[in-house]
Amino acid sequence: MTTFIARGLLQLPVVLLALSLLIFGMMQFLTPEQRAATYVRTEQQAKNIDLIIRQYNLDKGFWAQYTTWLNQVLHGNLGYSKQSHEPVLTTIRKRLPVWTELAIFMFFPTLAFGIWMGTLAATHRDKLIDQFVRVFAIAGWSLPTFVLGIWLLAVLYGYFHCCGIGRADDKYLIEFAKGTLKTYTGMITIDGLLNGRPNVTFSGLKHLVMPVLTYMVVASAQIMRVLRSSMLDVLNSDYVRTARAKGLPERVVNLKHARHNAIIPIVTIAGLMFTFMLEGVFFIEIIFNIPGLGQWAVPAAIQLDFPAVIGIALLTGVIVSIANLVVDILYGIIDPRISFQ
Amino acid sequence: MSSPDRDVPKRERWYESKRFRRFRRNPLAVAGVLILLFFAGMALFAPALTADRLPRGCMRDLGLGRSEAREALRDPTRAVFWRAMIAPPESCYKIPRVSYSPVPKPPSEKYPLGIASGGYDIYYGIVWGARTSFYIGVLVVGIVLVIATIVGGLAGLFGGWLDNLLMRLVDVVYSIPGLVLAMVFASIFGRGLIKTMIAIALVAWPIYARMLRGNILQVKAQDYISAAHAVGAGNLRLFFKHILPNAIGPMIILASLDIGAIVITASTLAFLGLGADVGYADWGQMISFARSWISNPGGEPLKYWFVWFWPSMAIALFVLGWNLLGDAVRDALDPRSQ
Repeated sequence: MTTFIARGLLQLPVVLLALSLLIFGMMQFLTPEQRAATYVRTEQQAKNIDLIIRQYNLDKGFWAQYTTWLNQVLHGNLGYSKQSHEPVLTTIRKRLPVWTELAIFMFFPTLAFGIWMGTLAATHRDKLIDQFVRVFAIAGWSLPTFVLGIWLLAVLYGYFHCCGIGRADDKYLIEFAKGTLKTYTGMITIDGLLNGRPNVTFSGLKHLVMPVLTYMVVASAQIMRVLRSSMLDVLNSDYVRTARAKGLPERVVNLKHARHNAIIPIVTIAGLMFTFMLEGVFFIEIIFNIPGLGQWAVPAAIQLDFPAVIGIALLTGVIVSIANLVVDILYGIIDPRISFQ
Repeated sequence: MSSPDRDVPKRERWYESKRFRRFRRNPLAVAGVLILLFFAGMALFAPALTADRLPRGCMRDLGLGRSEAREALRDPTRAVFWRAMIAPPESCYKIPRVSYSPVPKPPSEKYPLGIASGGYDIYYGIVWGARTSFYIGVLVVGIVLVIATIVGGLAGLFGGWLDNLLMRLVDVVYSIPGLVLAMVFASIFGRGLIKTMIAIALVAWPIYARMLRGNILQVKAQDYISAAHAVGAGNLRLFFKHILPNAIGPMIILASLDIGAIVITASTLAFLGLGADVGYADWGQMISFARSWISNPGGEPLKYWFVWFWPSMAIALFVLGWNLLGDAVRDALDPRSQ
């Protein structure tokens, strides 16, 4: 197990290196002047662009350029974003907590809901709940995230005045800006508790309802489908029959014996769902007006502000690579039969 | 003597096969096919359906006047009817603008689905958007198949270090979320429909390359390949004549059923503003026209429902059609579900 984790950790830099090569390779389609714009912060620098080209070896061969660029990236210099008028890394650091908060609240409830409904569908096969799950899964799977987001926005927020858009009620955001509420982590729900103001946390949660609901409907469909079919396979197996014959209560058989084995494919799906979520957060932020990474990166892409976009690509690449490693390790924890040879 | 053809077993037609019968009996599959036929009809007959509201540029390129267009585009005996249906000029994809007013107008007799912000005719956009969606889906799947065949074919055929290298490339491309990679692409190469399609294809190929490689490895282990090799078939002949035709089927079917997912990605990019030029008939872009009229504009919720309702319904139904069809085909092809 330890050697397996160690090997995974050793592979990580190789994957990241390949990732950086791929992204840098795409940047080669830009002219040296355009690439030099990455490091331009002021008007004066823009006038002396030749100096910058020379400073960052942009007129040299591919490898000299690549090593210089990689060196800058490793030292935290991802360039300057015209969209946010500050260095890319600073913007990422500012917006990451908002994005992380949203991602956490989207990912885990969706996973739990999908597993719950999938289990119910399998144990009540062909009953009403199973039919409901089937229809729900097909519908959710076919809805683009942004379409559902817009429907919720128009009906829930527009018509029923429920929930809310943005991060929290304006009065609390103003308090955060003034400093009467202290920012500890940058996540509203946690900061509210740390400030001893549960109503701030509640407001934050209320504003998370629509984003989370949007993602839940779209992304839990796949989990339900997969868990339902793998659970049905397991429920027909001999050891489940044995467990029933022993006289174990139905609940223990279903949840402990059957689901524990049926959940292995879910780990794979959860890994894919995680990648899907990283991009889902982007347009959910745009629709519901939440100032996270997406609300900065998408306009940046439209404005051809590529340092910002490349920073985001590197960041998501790192996150997904780590997530893949975690998925591999989780296989071993959930199913000890998978040997780490 | 009995006639020789009496003993020849009757060849099973495709519509008599067990697979097709299984497919046909599935009500969801039939629903999917009907939805897609509806959209296909809309896409195909787009010129006739919108003959009375074509934009000026389009009529000029077709060489028709306004009143002439109304007649000619609905008359199958005229050559221009077929020309507009099969190869309409690019200018026909531009949604005609009724006005330049930013306020949407509710459905009326002349504009049955209403007018979006900026004076865009929603009915025209929906009808021609169906054409754009099929166009995007088919073209992207085509590019994906070419890339996947080259990469998966090389990896499966030669194996060894080349296989290793190409599969690591697949891993790396796979580890960036598709939308982010498409955004990188768009920020470097600029926006435009063709560029968007290339970006989506560059993101979507890895899974199919991996699938083709797996199938090729499976086929390569079959006896008839060894037999062909023993008879002296060369590498190229072996690959194109024996291996590829037997390995490529599942990949082609699954990739073409992926059109739903591709249309989701394309419309998402268009919604974010990274798709076709402004004014191009594209459902995703039409939703982005609606952006500021969604949540409670002017204190009258749902007053401008038509600006977001029609395009979003079109996308959702189109994708639903493909997913229902895809699900049913996968079920029918799955040998375990006999």
